[in-house]
Amino acid sequence: MSQNRRADRQAGEVIDRNAPVVFSWEGKNYTGFAGDTIVSALAANGVDIFSRSFKYKRPRGVLSASFHDPNCTVQVDDEPNVRGAHRQVQQGMTISPENVWPSLAVDVRSINQFISRFLSAGFYYKTFMKPQRLWPMYQKILGRFAAGGITSPNAEHGYFDKRYIHVDVCVAGGGPAGIAAAIAAAKAGASVLLVEEEYHIGGHLRYGGASDLQTLAELRREVAALSNIEVLTNAAVTARYDMNWIGVIQRQPDILVNGHQIHERLCKVRANTLIVASGLIERPYVFEGNDLAGIMLSTGVRRLLNLHAVLPGKTAVVFTANADGDACAADLKRAGLHVTIVDARNGENIVRATGGKRIKSVQLGDGKSISCDLLIIAVGWTANVPLLNMAGDRPVYDKDAARFFPTDRLPESVLVAGGLVGDGSTNELIAHGSSIGTNSAARSGFGSVVSIPSLARVQHPELYRSTTHGYVDYSEDVSSKDLFAAKKEGYDSIELVKRYTTVTMGPSQGKLESVNAVAIMAEAHGVSDFNTIGTTVWRPPYVPITLGALGGRGFENTRYSPMQSWHEAHNASPLVAGDWIRPEHYGDPSAEVANVRTNVGLIDVTPLGKLDMRGRDVAKLLNLLYVNKFLKLEVGAVRYGVMCAEDGVVMDDGVTGRLGENHYMMTTTSSGAATVWEWAENWLQTEHPDWEVHIAPVTTAFASINIAGPKSRELLARVVEGVDLSNAAFPYMNVRQGSVAGIADCFMWRIGFTGELSFEIHVPASYGLHVWETLIETGKDLGVGPFGIEAQRIMRLEKGHFIVGQDTDGLTVGFGADLEWCIKLDKDDFVGKPELNWQSQRSNYQRLVGLQPVDPNVVPTEASQLVEGTRSIVGRITSSRFSPTLKRSICLGYVEPRLAVPGTVITCQLPDRSRIQVTVMEGLAHFDPSGSRMKS
Amino acid sequence: MNPVAKSPIRVTGSSTVVHGWEVSNRQSSAALRLSDVTPLAKVLIKSDAHSRFAASHPIAFGQVRVLFKGVLEIGCDPGAWLLVGSVGTASDLVATATTSTADVGEFISVIDITHGRAMMRLSGVDSPRLLNKICAIDLSDSVTPNHSAFRSSVAKLVTDVIRDDLADSTRSYLIHCERSSGQHLFDCILDAGIEFGIDVDGAGFS
Repeated sequence: MSQNRRADRQAGEVIDRNAPVVFSWEGKNYTGFAGDTIVSALAANGVDIFSRSFKYKRPRGVLSASFHDPNCTVQVDDEPNVRGAHRQVQQGMTISPENVWPSLAVDVRSINQFISRFLSAGFYYKTFMKPQRLWPMYQKILGRFAAGGITSPNAEHGYFDKRYIHVDVCVAGGGPAGIAAAIAAAKAGASVLLVEEEYHIGGHLRYGGASDLQTLAELRREVAALSNIEVLTNAAVTARYDMNWIGVIQRQPDILVNGHQIHERLCKVRANTLIVASGLIERPYVFEGNDLAGIMLSTGVRRLLNLHAVLPGKTAVVFTANADGDACAADLKRAGLHVTIVDARNGENIVRATGGKRIKSVQLGDGKSISCDLLIIAVGWTANVPLLNMAGDRPVYDKDAARFFPTDRLPESVLVAGGLVGDGSTNELIAHGSSIGTNSAARSGFGSVVSIPSLARVQHPELYRSTTHGYVDYSEDVSSKDLFAAKKEGYDSIELVKRYTTVTMGPSQGKLESVNAVAIMAEAHGVSDFNTIGTTVWRPPYVPITLGALGGRGFENTRYSPMQSWHEAHNASPLVAGDWIRPEHYGDPSAEVANVRTNVGLIDVTPLGKLDMRGRDVAKLLNLLYVNKFLKLEVGAVRYGVMCAEDGVVMDDGVTGRLGENHYMMTTTSSGAATVWEWAENWLQTEHPDWEVHIAPVTTAFASINIAGPKSRELLARVVEGVDLSNAAFPYMNVRQGSVAGIADCFMWRIGFTGELSFEIHVPASYGLHVWETLIETGKDLGVGPFGIEAQRIMRLEKGHFIVGQDTDGLTVGFGADLEWCIKLDKDDFVGKPELNWQSQRSNYQRLVGLQPVDPNVVPTEASQLVEGTRSIVGRITSSRFSPTLKRSICLGYVEPRLAVPGTVITCQLPDRSRIQVTVMEGLAHFDPSGSRMKS
Repeated sequence: MNPVAKSPIRVTGSSTVVHGWEVSNRQSSAALRLSDVTPLAKVLIKSDAHSRFAASHPIAFGQVRVLFKGVLEIGCDPGAWLLVGSVGTASDLVATATTSTADVGEFISVIDITHGRAMMRLSGVDSPRLLNKICAIDLSDSVTPNHSAFRSSVAKLVTDVIRDDLADSTRSYLIHCERSSGQHLFDCILDAGIEFGIDVDGAGFS
């Protein structure tokens, strides 16, 4: 289609007429120019309607031609809810209206407007409540009316990013005052971040006259020359929190990452001073028919015409109460439109607009009717104060100036510049901004404070609603009638009215409509002072932020052992264990078990927590943290220990070896490494700072390999130097230090988690792969093979070794976990002793027992309930596997104490509600209960 | 064959062995470079934060100095210092530190953590801008000048950052974390640096 509404070249136009852009709208191709917004490109092609309204599905056209335009939200490709009056059109874009049925031109749901008197405020709260059974049907119908676009599950994931920025001064708003403030602060030496919502800085100067454009060019030159100003355009300050922690959303920064443009970037800014120079937003006028296409705000018209060279109509009526309306009328005349002025300053008024899909005429207060296809509204301004609200201010209404102004309640770190403070010429606004900028720099130690020139408050007529009713909130289809109705229903507070009617709760969040809502509520209450009605409070974010921007890049840590490359090369099935990636198995866990029980196997246990402890008081600390005794642990010995918290609940377990007179190595569970370190440091630093103990976390300083199986001694002997591995010289639960596979500074201990003869070796991590590969190569004739976590879990269950976190939970008390043998209440003191002492005197806690299903082929799902009758739960299964060694199913579980008697048969209910019988065993071990294999 | 020590960070391109460590041969002339310097010797000296030794030590927590040629000393914790030295010098550093603290008369521990940490060097004028995509600390000269150090979240990982500008004053940071997360941190820094044209450089030490 031709651009039949494209005007001649405009002095301040931002389009590039040499760069045509082809895009589609509702399936048809259109041509615009680079620099066009979606809406300006469509308007240049004669498109009037861009959306259907929320409730009544009325056709809506462009209103303010800005980001906050409530009528121009569209779907772009896979992206819903794009602000079409702001987003620049790009080659190949597929643009469509949102939620129309069946089309934008004809939406059958627009029939709602003819039954609008039944759909007043609170409609949703009063209807569809009964009968309750029909709610699913109501929900489907209501869903068809819900606003918003479509998010495809197949949409490509955009690149979203984050950034931290530290500056002396952050300026919110790139109008003349904001730019001047940035320049002054930067010239004084401060680092400055200038944030502008539009694609270019300049504010209203961009669509002003020749002198405005000349001034803007000079300001831009100054900004470009100052390297300590960073300008973020197409960005918005979304929030101000305590200590000037400021959120900035930057849309589509001009940065390519691997060929993809960054979609959005959330900047977290810490600024010594925030300058709020967010200016004023032109507000609509409430009258009958005020939402017809062709009714626009004066600033919207000037944006379309002067920035994008679009003629918004042919015959215009300008309802003006200020100089900006006059300037708009002049612009339209210059562009060749026929213009009729209706001057509110002379008492003239408009009461009604009529038309179909576009305005056809406007009726004045004196009854006269004027034919037109464009009605421009210029009746005043809404102070853009959300950031001031967030900084703690509650702006106050000035009846003479007909708008709100900030108070002196702002913190020292927040300054206000420009139109928010008062009115003035461009030079006066620049002077004001400049002085504010100078003073903001002074707050950071650059230059000195200057006096602030005052800005006058120009008188302006109060124009909010005509003598007829119309729409107040375009986003939510809330009319002035709705507000009157809410008042009649007893809603006095503006905050309650907001929630009841949803006024100011739509996508524009009250930017255009909040003051009108307050004014109409004042009118409904019969008061003239808006301050008695109050205002709604803006909270973050100032503009919507996508979830992608909040999420940013995915930085989920992944931890690998030094042997990971070997595991991957040998088809290890990866198991995500917290941050760690561990080999679950190498194809056949049962075969891995059999090999360990028969020959020898290797498992990578690097994630085991390891704490290097040094000092003369380490034994005291261990004795404090563990429930068992550590004061007499000899050099070269290893002891298993269990930690309980102060409440006697099992917290962690592991073995600790004494490497030297004052040198110990503690191991923890893999998941408990960080917790135990903090726990130990906490007790050391807060309760016993006098103890000489140094703790260093060395979990990943060592690669840890457990060599298990009857041939493990023979294998290790082939690669160890300086250590006698015989049972006599190196018995069970002992530690030795020496070289392994040529690597010095290794330590190894004999423990038996799998129930087999086993040596756990810990080698400097950088040599972990070398040692692993050496063991595999050296032990080929012994049948050595790797085994994974699953095989280890089977074998430890066969041996009856519990796992903290698997066989315990946040309520498992020490005595319940079969730890009576370990808890030494005769120690002077230790963490959890009072509670454990009490536990020992009662018996109302469940007990950990070994269980075997009567049917050996059934493996009850872990967490299956143990039950009596149909309603009583008497325990649960915590671990269960099929034992390849015993050829039957085996379990650990908790049962009530009266049932913890060997031989007791208990019913176990499986997830499918079927039931099996399990028998309580003697002890926890299903295999080699005497431990003869691991002690051999 | 002598055993070769391996960094947790995968070697980019061909490799060679330097002082028993496998290192990348890759050379880059990019303005922003990231190098794996895990093989550097790393020795931790622990004292009490309130000890006389700590009070009289020339550098405090957050400060860095060149102890002697090729060795940086970093105040990495209250009462703790990290020595970073040339590849293969860990044993010497441990011995030197042990000897020099032996007569202090206070409880001091010296621990070789060379194998427990991954370390990388980020160099280039855009390095602070890169880091500020994944780290919240103010990296301006006024807050973190050359030879300052801090511990913070970098890409959601506990990381020690040491500003150690190059001899020609190019901005440079030594960044280190516990070993098993080294590849993750390396990858995150590379990802953040794409927009600045980051490239992987060989180890850059001999």
